[in-house]
Amino acid sequence: MKSIVCATRGGEGSRAAQMAAIREARRSGKPLTFLYVTDTSSIANVEEVLLPALRAELNWMGRTLLQVAKQRAEAAGLLAHVKILEGRVQEEIGRFLAEADADLLILGAPRDATSTVFGDDAVEQFAQSIQSKTGVRVQVVRPEASALERQDGRV
Amino acid sequence: MQLLQLFAQENELIRQEIGLVILLAIAAMVAIIIRRLRFPYTVALVLVGLALSFVPNFLPFEVSSEVILAILVPPLLFEATLHIKWKNLRDDFGIIMILAVGGTLLGTFIVGEIVTWVLDIPLIAALAFGALISATDPVAVISFFRSLGVSKRLSILVEGESLFNDGAAIVIFNLMIGLAVAGTESFSLSGTIVEFLRVSLGGVGVGLILGYVVSYIILKNVDDHLIETTTTVALAFGSYVIAEEFHVSGILAVVAAGLMVGNIGTQNTSPTTRLTLDNFWEFSAFVVNSLVFLLIGLEIQISEMQPYLIPIIVAVGAVLLSRALIVYSLTSIHKRFTPAARHIPHPYRHVMYWGGLRGAISLALALTLTGNVFGSAISREMRVMTFGVVLFTLLVQGTTIEKLIQKLRLAEKPAQRTVQQRLQARIYAKRAGLQELDRLHEDDILFPEIWQAMSSIYEEEIRDAKQALGDHLLHYPELEQDMFLQAREDVLKAERAALSIAARQGFISDELLHELSKEADNRLAALELIKRVRNVSAEQSRNS
Repeated sequence: MKSIVCATRGGEGSRAAQMAAIREARRSGKPLTFLYVTDTSSIANVEEVLLPALRAELNWMGRTLLQVAKQRAEAAGLLAHVKILEGRVQEEIGRFLAEADADLLILGAPRDATSTVFGDDAVEQFAQSIQSKTGVRVQVVRPEASALERQDGRV
Repeated sequence: MQLLQLFAQENELIRQEIGLVILLAIAAMVAIIIRRLRFPYTVALVLVGLALSFVPNFLPFEVSSEVILAILVPPLLFEATLHIKWKNLRDDFGIIMILAVGGTLLGTFIVGEIVTWVLDIPLIAALAFGALISATDPVAVISFFRSLGVSKRLSILVEGESLFNDGAAIVIFNLMIGLAVAGTESFSLSGTIVEFLRVSLGGVGVGLILGYVVSYIILKNVDDHLIETTTTVALAFGSYVIAEEFHVSGILAVVAAGLMVGNIGTQNTSPTTRLTLDNFWEFSAFVVNSLVFLLIGLEIQISEMQPYLIPIIVAVGAVLLSRALIVYSLTSIHKRFTPAARHIPHPYRHVMYWGGLRGAISLALALTLTGNVFGSAISREMRVMTFGVVLFTLLVQGTTIEKLIQKLRLAEKPAQRTVQQRLQARIYAKRAGLQELDRLHEDDILFPEIWQAMSSIYEEEIRDAKQALGDHLLHYPELEQDMFLQAREDVLKAERAALSIAARQGFISDELLHELSKEADNRLAALELIKRVRNVSAEQSRNS
């Protein structure tokens, strides 16, 4: 069976993306995996001596964020999987989508992102790039969505 | 009365010691009172000092320029530089040096020209005034930066400029005094430039050499936090004294030595030494700062200022105008030659302009103005003008800079973070109340029905606050990461402290403590890096 992957990094759109992924997994009955990628290359000018500690701390943050996401899924009556990978974000997500046989990737966008369709926003470009490389559909969710859903009583 | 007579009979040293104790006690009282008010501590000290200046002979000792420059300023500069990391300074070193050296030169000439033109003060004397008033003192501003959580970059820009312009201002001031003594006919531009470079670079050289010796020979090889800390004290004062003995800049020597120890020396020491150094120098800076600002207030005689109201207004105007020209023009020129990422954002420029307060260095140099060089009337006029400018910048700019920072939205604690902290504080306080209720109940002090009723109200209030916090986090999910980062820092510090306790109790060896503490320090440094990257992204999105 195809699966759903929700990549999270604890930013503005992370909660909305997680809730959208949980809802989609419950609706479709597909397995859901929350993914976090430890990417030390995203932090410039790191002293060599600090790299192992940086890797370990990013990993610690990832484990915590994934645990929170898993608890949210459990609260919604869903058993979700979690996965931590290390490397460059885009490459690792692409690799994992194939490994998990996913047909949907859900990402969170920062607040006030220009649009939910592919615009010139960085997340949208990132999503477009992954979609074109892997063929997996990518859904970008804004943080406002989560708040609106809470108000509607949907989550 | 008898007590006063007893004091009068004591010898000079005891009288001075009593004076110092009284000043420290006053500073401590001001600090206690000010903790609950959003008012700069340093400005409060100046106000208290001004009030005390009306008490005749309040100070049992004379505040000379030498006392300020040789005893009070070195520890302040040394402590400030200990915390400036070269990797932070490096990125903006160009603009910092342009502002510190070019800005001081420009400020000297702009203020000097205005003062000589409007007040008819001889040009050399006016230029000496321009130089002494160009040294910025951002202590009051930096304390706001810390409490408001303003970006590290802005903090480094303001603090870095101040550290280096102190040295530049003193060098230029002394050159002007030298010119006044030798006569303008002896002036040679090339000679003045060579002398400026000799004094400045000589001072930096002395500081770097002594800082190197302490960092690489003592801090690296001696593993005793008390000896190592003592060595840094000797370095702070010694670099000033030795440089001055060689007739080069003592101030720049202290700055260079502090940067060397802060960036290299502390890397060669144990965590225990680092902790001791941090605590010792934080305490020293607090004490010295308290004394400096109290003394500023005590030295300024309001009654003396009245006849010089017009010169003071002219001086304040000249200082504000020159500061505006320096900050806005030099940062604009810098912008032309640097990539976009290194431009100084406009809100930063406004804070750099309005945050250019004047303090201890200006006061110390003004106190050297006696009748010998410029004549007593002009020296007195320039001294009072300096007092006026220092007072204006501290009382007007120092008390309004916080509003400016908030208006420019430079505080990294946006409204949503304040709301989060308020809700967390409410939960924390209610929990404490509930615990106290339980204690009263267990001690049979509280009637059971009342305890139950009050407890249920408390629990309901905690539930409501938790619900509100949950709703708030739903709107601002990024705050969860803030909570994580703060909690992670707290637990890492707890782990590190536990290691020291384990070593003190003999569970682990000193070698193991050293190894594990280093690991914990690296983890904390890595966390700091993650936070910084996150803050930079947030700042960029705010400034865009």
